[in-house]
Amino acid sequence: MSLNEIWEATSASPYAPLISKDNQFFVGFSLLFSAFILTGLFGLNRSFLSIASFGVPASLAFGFGAVFMICAAGVYV
Amino acid sequence: MRPFAAIAAFSGLFSSCLLVCAESTKDFTPPQAFKNVNLVRNTNLEKGYAREIINVVVENVDSEPRSSYYLAVPTELFDKVGGLEVRDKKAPEKDRFAVDSVLVESSSNSQYFVIDFPEPLAPKAQITLGISYYILNALSPRPATIEQSEKQFLSYSFSAYTPSAYPTVTQKTKLKLPSMNVPDYTVTSGLKSGEDPERLGTTYTYGPYDTSKVAPGTNYPVTVRYEFTKPVITASLLERDLEVSHWGGNLATEERYWLRNNGSALKNHFSRVEWTVSNYQQMPSVSIRELRVPLKPGAVDPYFIDDIGNVSTSRYRPGKLPARDASLELRPRYPVFGGWNYSFRIGWNDQLSSFLRKVSGGASDSYVLKVPFIEGPKVPEGIQYEHVVVRVILPEGARNVRYEVVDKATSNGLPNTDNIKASVTPHKTFMDTLGRTALTLTVENLSDEARDAQILVSYEYSLWDSMRKPVTITAGLLTVFVAAWAIGNVDVAIKKR
Repeated sequence: MSLNEIWEATSASPYAPLISKDNQFFVGFSLLFSAFILTGLFGLNRSFLSIASFGVPASLAFGFGAVFMICAAGVYV
Repeated sequence: MRPFAAIAAFSGLFSSCLLVCAESTKDFTPPQAFKNVNLVRNTNLEKGYAREIINVVVENVDSEPRSSYYLAVPTELFDKVGGLEVRDKKAPEKDRFAVDSVLVESSSNSQYFVIDFPEPLAPKAQITLGISYYILNALSPRPATIEQSEKQFLSYSFSAYTPSAYPTVTQKTKLKLPSMNVPDYTVTSGLKSGEDPERLGTTYTYGPYDTSKVAPGTNYPVTVRYEFTKPVITASLLERDLEVSHWGGNLATEERYWLRNNGSALKNHFSRVEWTVSNYQQMPSVSIRELRVPLKPGAVDPYFIDDIGNVSTSRYRPGKLPARDASLELRPRYPVFGGWNYSFRIGWNDQLSSFLRKVSGGASDSYVLKVPFIEGPKVPEGIQYEHVVVRVILPEGARNVRYEVVDKATSNGLPNTDNIKASVTPHKTFMDTLGRTALTLTVENLSDEARDAQILVSYEYSLWDSMRKPVTITAGLLTVFVAAWAIGNVDVAIKKR
């Protein structure tokens, strides 16, 4: 099957990103802000339990938030 | 050490010479298995390069079926030929024929391309070939230097007898010129009865000639010199990057041009006053004054920069989805006159959804991407590209990359797939750990006719591959938290335990 035939056959499934371009800034900012708050909460009590309850969510929020914020800034990674 | 190095270098030189000599064929003459019954050559000189379409009825005069037809090209033009395409004129819907080049001793007058028919041609059978190609840098400005607002003339030389490896029974050449102002053209004598060439508007017809008794390869030089008060735009290099971002839902395009105007050089210094006056009056000019780049309807965030920085003399007219094209109008920092260069880069973003589709089924997530091969300025005088590098940068972790260049039933100015060199290499840029997968396609001798051609790229890209970037950043911050906790637990107090 040639690639052109595959292209024609898949006309019903155009690629849709997880977060559309218009919402990247909002989602990225919200995640980064929550990462900031959670980091602050971790800073108040640096226990092992805090890593699980604040550190892990903060890291995840920062990881995804950074990707969306970089995209929103125009560097499409 | 030196004598050894010299001997090694000499032996290297000798062995490489042997290699070349082994590949090339001395005094090569193609087997005389065919005869050109009728040949019509259409040469179009309306653009900054010569475009030739040869329609030829070929007959097998051998006693056995034959499938290799040799196309002769004068040695001095051989490296300038681009976009060579051969089709069966009577079945244009079929695929183009495979074409290879033959290496012949450089002192020979002709070089050859071998056209392989899909099925051998039976003895006495005929086939009509449609051969199309363009010749880059074949037009020379005469005079070579002119005043700033003077008219420019180009000259084109060719042979009245079409170069051929086989005897030709009848042939003619139709020249299509861009203007009525043709101060010089060769009038042939003794080739046919009556006036030669015959003129009709801007079309000059040399022939028809009865050349059944003329030996193949006979040269009858003809030169035409015609007005062409437009720039002869040549890109010595075009680098084009297409960057796919799944996270951003974006297709980023950047094109880097190294342009040159191959027209007549200026006789005197550039006069700013004369330029301003002629520009104000919108007089035709031999300089590159403005380039219009049509972009796809959804294109956004265009930029136009050169070595100095942003070039503010550009205008962007956004398009409208689904059908109205956007237009990026560029004015170079200075008018590019004959012999002058200008290099710049332009770029823009598109929604990825118009170019990428997800292939359902299969074990891994598979995607197919369809993007234009080249875009670039669309100008009536055309652009010739000497060297083009198209790079499709796929997301990090994309695997099993396959590509295809979409061929149309009519000539789209692209060479055979064999002449497009492809390689898949990693490309490292922002926030990459392994490097993105980049498919690089390299083509020599291209023209802006290839604007309509498309590349299709398919690749596999799983969910884990897409998670690589956020997970890397997450792991980074988590390491900081764990370090803060671990270091905070270290007891550094000065006291008795």
